[in-house]
Amino acid sequence: MEAIVVRPAVSCCRSAVSAGPTSSRLLLNTLPTGIRQKSTSARTRRALNIPPHPSFLNANNSTGNSGPDGLRGTRRDTDQIIFNPPSSAPSVFHTPFKFLPKNDPRRRANLTSSLFASSTTIHYNATQQQSSSTSPTSMPAEQTFSPEDFPMAEGPVVLKPRHHLAKADIEEMRRLRETDPVTNSVQSLARQYQCSKLFVLMCCQAPREHQDKIKAGLEKTKERWGPRRRAAREERARREGMLRTGEL
Amino acid sequence: MKRLRLDRWTGQALVARSGACSASTPRAALRSAAVPRCAAVRSQSTSAVLQIPKDDEYYDGTDHTRFPPLERLPPRATSLPSPPPERALKSAKLAALRARLSLPDKLPLQTLARALVDASADDNPLFNNTNLAFVGQSLINYHVAEWLMCRYPRLPMDILYAAMKGYAGPASLHQVARSWGIEHAAAPGGEVDPGLLQFSMHKPGNAILGFGTRRAEADGMKKYKWRHSLSNRVIFDDDFGQVVADAAEQEKPQLLRRADTEYGNEYTRALAEAAYSTCARAVVGAIYAHTGREPVKAFVRAHVLSRTLDLSRLFAFAKATKELSLLCAREDFDPPTARLLSETGRASRTPVFVVGIFSGADKLGEAAGPSLEHARSKAAMNALKSWYLYSPGEHVRVPSDVLVEDARPWEPAYIDMGEIIGR
Repeated sequence: MEAIVVRPAVSCCRSAVSAGPTSSRLLLNTLPTGIRQKSTSARTRRALNIPPHPSFLNANNSTGNSGPDGLRGTRRDTDQIIFNPPSSAPSVFHTPFKFLPKNDPRRRANLTSSLFASSTTIHYNATQQQSSSTSPTSMPAEQTFSPEDFPMAEGPVVLKPRHHLAKADIEEMRRLRETDPVTNSVQSLARQYQCSKLFVLMCCQAPREHQDKIKAGLEKTKERWGPRRRAAREERARREGMLRTGEL
Repeated sequence: MKRLRLDRWTGQALVARSGACSASTPRAALRSAAVPRCAAVRSQSTSAVLQIPKDDEYYDGTDHTRFPPLERLPPRATSLPSPPPERALKSAKLAALRARLSLPDKLPLQTLARALVDASADDNPLFNNTNLAFVGQSLINYHVAEWLMCRYPRLPMDILYAAMKGYAGPASLHQVARSWGIEHAAAPGGEVDPGLLQFSMHKPGNAILGFGTRRAEADGMKKYKWRHSLSNRVIFDDDFGQVVADAAEQEKPQLLRRADTEYGNEYTRALAEAAYSTCARAVVGAIYAHTGREPVKAFVRAHVLSRTLDLSRLFAFAKATKELSLLCAREDFDPPTARLLSETGRASRTPVFVVGIFSGADKLGEAAGPSLEHARSKAAMNALKSWYLYSPGEHVRVPSDVLVEDARPWEPAYIDMGEIIGR
């Protein structure tokens, strides 16, 4: 109830502040006691009195109870183990069900994840959840998800090799690259032959002078970098290495 | 307040002062001249002066005035490179070590004393711990390897080597021996307490403590960093997949010369680590020699395998997403897809993305990261780690469990088809 009283006061205070920014400090100081601070122990206790997690409440009573105390619900009165771990990253030592070998006892006993699921586990397979929801121990009205509900987070698109270039094409590509590496750059050759740049790099090699020229140009660019840019690039490379070794 | 007793000051100081101010304290100067210098050494002690026998058979050239012996030594003890075995029975440190480690009474103190003598202190194999350490090293490595094989059957070979080294390598065994409360003598010799670890700070011992052969191309591998494959390492190298190196080539003359003058350097620390790890192995070998197979297995379980090693930290993947898709293709799973489970603060400076890797309807791995790419590769790494770190259970049976009487027959352990190899 307190929250309902407090919030309009806060919003009207904010609107007052935004209306007159020049006298905001004065306004805040001269405001009457619109905001209830936690000045007394009773107010502090009331502010910190938040309802418990739903898993600690009696599931049957809380849904039917519509009185003023309906949000609070009632405590469980039966002997039940309440398992409510804090949210954390999953451990790599918990092997996914799919990775268990064929003769593993966990697989044989068909102990699906719903049996061991905690209250914080998201169930991804909707059909599994429905079958297990008939048991009385399952969580009530828990939202079910399937992997398709989540957006894809794929990396850069990798084109599938089409294998459409014959040996003669590759020979021609090599000749072009050898004769004029400036106009027939890797990118232009890839566009011309409709293949990836990696494939062009696998097929052809630029003449030595051209390679040296490119390398010298790169060195010249690097010389222009200041300490900040250099440090940023080094740190990025270091982060990548740390990511690979699992330090980050 | 105590009265200053000038006559009990050391003779040297009083003589030095007497010349400067002889007129002020002539009495003190007179006394200091009268007191002989040798008597001033123990003048503050109330105990009786130790009677030092002047027998040539007992002592050889030690300055007994400066270093009075703590106990009566047997004949020619100081001329020996390590303490004689009969002194082990009188050492309080040895008895305390045996009690601390709860070693059985069947293990005599003389053998425990021998386990504390490194080959660098005494090169006679009848009196140093080389033989015991060889047995102990084989036993420790066997028990660690069989436990790792049964507990984590999918570990790749190089991770297995790293885990072996993490449990039974010289650095770990050095820590184990230190945790047993073993201290080392400043220098080895026949007169030191047999309960102290004895090794030389000047030279490494020439004991052969493991399997593996010295490669002919080892110098080139070190100099030019030649590649050597994993199967090559299995055949030629030691139990931890490392190239066997000569003890002599590890010597660094500069550090060696400084070893005496400074408190300790890199070289002396390496020598101490080798000596301590050899000592830990020798204790295991001694337990096996006197009490047999089962006590030594329990000892290795209690002191070596009980240590915590986070195997998930040993992995490093170059191309995790590619390896995971190869794995799914090999095992006939649906190709892995990455999906964004939740995110916060995409436009902020510190966003968090939680990405899960799915194969069909099953989630294989999940990770949070500051960018989508980061979280995706981390999730793929977690999925691969959970594949490789599959374990049949916490308390797996190992093959040596069937060696006890009336044991259940052995059921074959899970053998994986091997690590994922990129094409």
